[in-house]
Amino acid sequence: MLVDQTIAKVLEHGLHQGADFAEVFIEDSVSRSLDLLDRKIDQINSGNSYGIGIRLLFGHESCYGYSSDPDPAGLLQLTENLARSKRGEGRVTPKDLRRAPVNDQHRIRLSPEKVGKMDRVELLRSLDQLTRSHGEAIRQVSASILEKKRSMLIANSEGLFREDSRQYMRVRLSAIADTGDGPQGGAESPGVLGGYEFLEEVDLEKLAREAAETALRMAGAGYIDGGVMPVVMGNGFGGVIFHEACGHPLETEAIRKNASPFTGKLGQSIASPVLTAVDDGTIANAWGSLNIDDEGNEAQRTVLIKDGVLQQYLSDRVGAAQVGVPQTGSSRRESYKYAPVSRMRNTYIDKGPDKIEDIIRSVDHGLYAKKLGGGSVDPGTGEFNFAVQEGYIIRKGKVAEPVRGATLIGKGYEVLPKISMIADDLKLAAGICGASSGMVPTTVGQPTLKIDSILVGGR
Amino acid sequence: MQPEAAIEHVLGLARQSGLAEVDVLVERGESLGLKIRDAKVEKVDQSTSLGLGVRVLLDGRTGLAYTERLEASALRRVLDEALENAELQDQLEVNLPDPAEDVPAAEALQLYNPELEQLSFEELAEVGLEIEATAKQTDQRVFTLPYLGVSRESGEWILGTSKGTHYRQRANSATTYCGALLQEGESRKTGFWFWQMRDWNRAAAAAIGPKAVKEGTSLLGAKSIQNCKMPVILDEYCAPQLLGMFFRAFHADAAQKGTSRLVGRLGEKIAGENVTLYDDPHIPGARGSSHLDSEGVLTQKLSLVEQGVFENFLYHVESASKEQRTSTGHARRSYNSGIGTGSHNLVMEKGSYSLEELCQQPERALLVTSLEGAAGCNSISGDISIGVQGFLLEKGERVKPVDSITVAGNFFDLLSQIQGLGNCYQPYLSKVFVPPMLLDGLAISG
Repeated sequence: MLVDQTIAKVLEHGLHQGADFAEVFIEDSVSRSLDLLDRKIDQINSGNSYGIGIRLLFGHESCYGYSSDPDPAGLLQLTENLARSKRGEGRVTPKDLRRAPVNDQHRIRLSPEKVGKMDRVELLRSLDQLTRSHGEAIRQVSASILEKKRSMLIANSEGLFREDSRQYMRVRLSAIADTGDGPQGGAESPGVLGGYEFLEEVDLEKLAREAAETALRMAGAGYIDGGVMPVVMGNGFGGVIFHEACGHPLETEAIRKNASPFTGKLGQSIASPVLTAVDDGTIANAWGSLNIDDEGNEAQRTVLIKDGVLQQYLSDRVGAAQVGVPQTGSSRRESYKYAPVSRMRNTYIDKGPDKIEDIIRSVDHGLYAKKLGGGSVDPGTGEFNFAVQEGYIIRKGKVAEPVRGATLIGKGYEVLPKISMIADDLKLAAGICGASSGMVPTTVGQPTLKIDSILVGGR
Repeated sequence: MQPEAAIEHVLGLARQSGLAEVDVLVERGESLGLKIRDAKVEKVDQSTSLGLGVRVLLDGRTGLAYTERLEASALRRVLDEALENAELQDQLEVNLPDPAEDVPAAEALQLYNPELEQLSFEELAEVGLEIEATAKQTDQRVFTLPYLGVSRESGEWILGTSKGTHYRQRANSATTYCGALLQEGESRKTGFWFWQMRDWNRAAAAAIGPKAVKEGTSLLGAKSIQNCKMPVILDEYCAPQLLGMFFRAFHADAAQKGTSRLVGRLGEKIAGENVTLYDDPHIPGARGSSHLDSEGVLTQKLSLVEQGVFENFLYHVESASKEQRTSTGHARRSYNSGIGTGSHNLVMEKGSYSLEELCQQPERALLVTSLEGAAGCNSISGDISIGVQGFLLEKGERVKPVDSITVAGNFFDLLSQIQGLGNCYQPYLSKVFVPPMLLDGLAISG
C-alpha cells in the first residue's frame, strides 16, 4: 500500500486543482481459480491485481483515473490530468486523515491460505464423481473453485481513511445431460463472503444432485408453447427477476439520469400490497455483504419497498446528492479500474403468508419456473428478459411435465403489481451482477411467488 | 519495469530454474473516455492498465499465474506460482510451439493509427456536446439522454516464449455512442447508435445523435403480436450477435468435451448451400486481425462451412495435440486467463439482396432490429428463446413497430433455413461479419 503522505498529497493536489472532493482507492487483490473439466484438473490460475484509483468531484461532475504504478510523481500527474478539463480555483483544503476502524461483521473461521491446494483438487474430483453418479446420461461435468481476497484502502478529502478486506469463496458446478434429444445443462454456484470453512461445510452431494437433476429433467423435456400465462417463480435464484426488473431501476445511477420508471415515485405504491423488498448489505457472510462500501461508508439494510410502497433508492455519494436522498452504503465497484456507483448487495423479496402448495394449486394452466438462468434489463424502459433453466407446466393446480426453452419477458413496473401470492420459503442465491462499475458479487432471493400474467416465450 | 524488460526478466528466471517451456503475455491499455450530460462533461475516465501472465509447461502440465505489478519481486513470485499450479494440474500433453517462421510485420494489418493519439480532450468533448445538442433537437419526444460517451482507446499485447517467439501488436480506436430515452404517452423506448473507427472522422463521429433518436422513435408505440410462425429478418447488427452466441460449437475443445452439436459432423451438410463461413485473421483493419495467435502459432485463413458443408473446427495447441494434428492458430488468452479457443475475424459470405430487397421477399415478415439479452440462448443445445423488437413488414413496408414478443427455434436447424442473405455488413470496427438474413422456421410468441 502507499504511504499515507502520498495519499494526503494526492488529495490535496486534487483540491488545489479546484475539485470539491477527492478520493483515493487502493486495491491489492489476490485471486485463485481451480477448474475441473472432462474429469481433469484443467486449469489452475492465480494472480495479483494492484492499482490506485483517483476520483475528483466537481459538484456532480466526476473525473476518475487509475494506474498500477504507485510512483508518487505519476499519481500527482494523473490527478492533474484528471482536473485539466475542470480546472477551477482551489480554495478548499483537505481535512486531516483520521484512520477509522472497520467493524468486521463477516468473520473468517478458516483462512484459505492455511489449506493446501491439494484439498481443493480433491474436492473438485469428488464433486465430479458425485455428479456423474446420477447416471450415464450425465455426459459432462465442469466444476470450479473461485477465491478472491480484496484488500483495500479508501481515503478522501473529508478525512475518511479506512482499510478493509473481503474474502470471497465460491464453487461452481455444471452438469450436462443428454438422453438422445440434445444436450441440456444444469448448474449450481453458491458462494460466500467468508473463508475456507464454506468449502468444508457446503453439501457436495446436494449440489451434485441439484445440478444433475436439472440437467436430466431438461434433457427429457419438450418445448413449451409460448404465450401470456400465470407463472409461479421458484425461490432463491428466482429473485433475479426482482434484481433486474426493479433493483437496477431503483439505483440512483438510473434515477439521477431520469432513466428509470421509478423516478419521483418515493412514497407511492409501485407494487402489489403483498410485496416487501429489501437490499441488505449486512447479512453475516452473505455473498453480496460488505463491512463498508467502496466509498468507505458502513453497509446498511435498506428497505426498498414496504407493503407495495416505494421507500428508498440505493445510492452512492453523487447519486444521493443529485437525487436528494440519504446515502445507503451501497456504492460499489468491481476493482480499482472503476469509479463506484450505487449497486445492489443482497436483494430479496421478503417472505409472505402463502404456502407453495396453495400457490401451485391456484394455477389452472401456467408455468412453474423452478430455477431461473440469467437475464438483463434496460433500466430506462424497464424491459427485462430471463431464461428459465428448469421449468414445468402447471396443469389444473398440479406440477406436470418439464419444459425447456422458456424465456420470460416484460416490463418491471408492469409485473410488480401482478405479484399476487408470496410463500414463506425465502431463500437467497449468489450471483454476479454487471453494470457501469463492473462485475460485483450480489445475492438475489425470494420466496416462491406467483405472477398473475407474464409473457412466456416458447415454440 | 517496462513490459519488454519484464518479459525478458521472467524468461531469464525460467532459464535459471531449468524451465524449458514458458511463455509470457503482457497486455497494456490506455484510454480516455468522456460522458456527457446536460451540456457538460459529466464524467472523465482516464486509465493505464497493465498485466503480465505467465504460463509454465512442465511435463505436459500447465500452470498459470498473473500479476499487475512488474517489479522484480512480483515477477519472481508469479513464475513460482505458475510452477506450483502446474504441479497440481493433470497432464494435458501440451508443448510450446516452435517460433513461427516468416511472420509478417504487425503494421501490415493496419490496426494502429498514430493520429488517433493526438485526439485531444477538447475535441472529444466538443464532439460529445454536439451529439447531445443535435440529439435533443431532433425530436421533442427525447426524454433524457442517459448514455452518451466519447472515447479513444489503445492497447497492445506482447508475447515472449522460452523458445524464442517474440511478437508485439498494437491497436487503437475511437468510439462515440448515444442512448436516448424516448417517451410518447405510455410508451417508452431506448434508441441506441454508435460509431467506432480507427480513422477519425469528426463529422461521422458526431452524427450519431439523430440516428439514436430515430432508432428509438421508430419503435414508440410498439405492440405485441399474436403467437404465429412467419419469416424473420435479422438486420446486419443482430445477425452477427446471433452467430456469436452459438459459435463455440465450432471450437474443437467443445467438441472434444461433448458440448458441441457439431461433433462427428465434419464433411456433412449442416447448412443451406447459401452458407459459406470462414475465419480470416488477415483482414486489414479488422478488430480480430493478427499474424500470431496467443500461443505464438501462425494464423491462417480457415474455411468453416463451404456452401453448407462443415469443413473445420478451430484448434489451439492442446485440442490439436489430442487429435495428433497441428493447431489452426486459434488460441485466445488474456494475461489473467487460461487458454481458450476463439475466432479472429469471422466472415459469412454476403448474398445479393440489399436489406430492403430482403424485406420484400416474403409477403409478411418480422424485421428484428434488437435482440434482448442472450440468457435464453443455449450455446450447447442450440436452443433459441429470446425477446426481440422490430417491425412487422407487409410487402417490404414497415407497417408497425413490435415489442413484447419472443422468437424461438434452434440455431443448428436455422442454418439450413436461411432463405436469403443481404449484401452488406455493419460498417464499424468489428470481428464478426455477417450480413442480414431471412430465416424461416422461428416461432413467435406474443
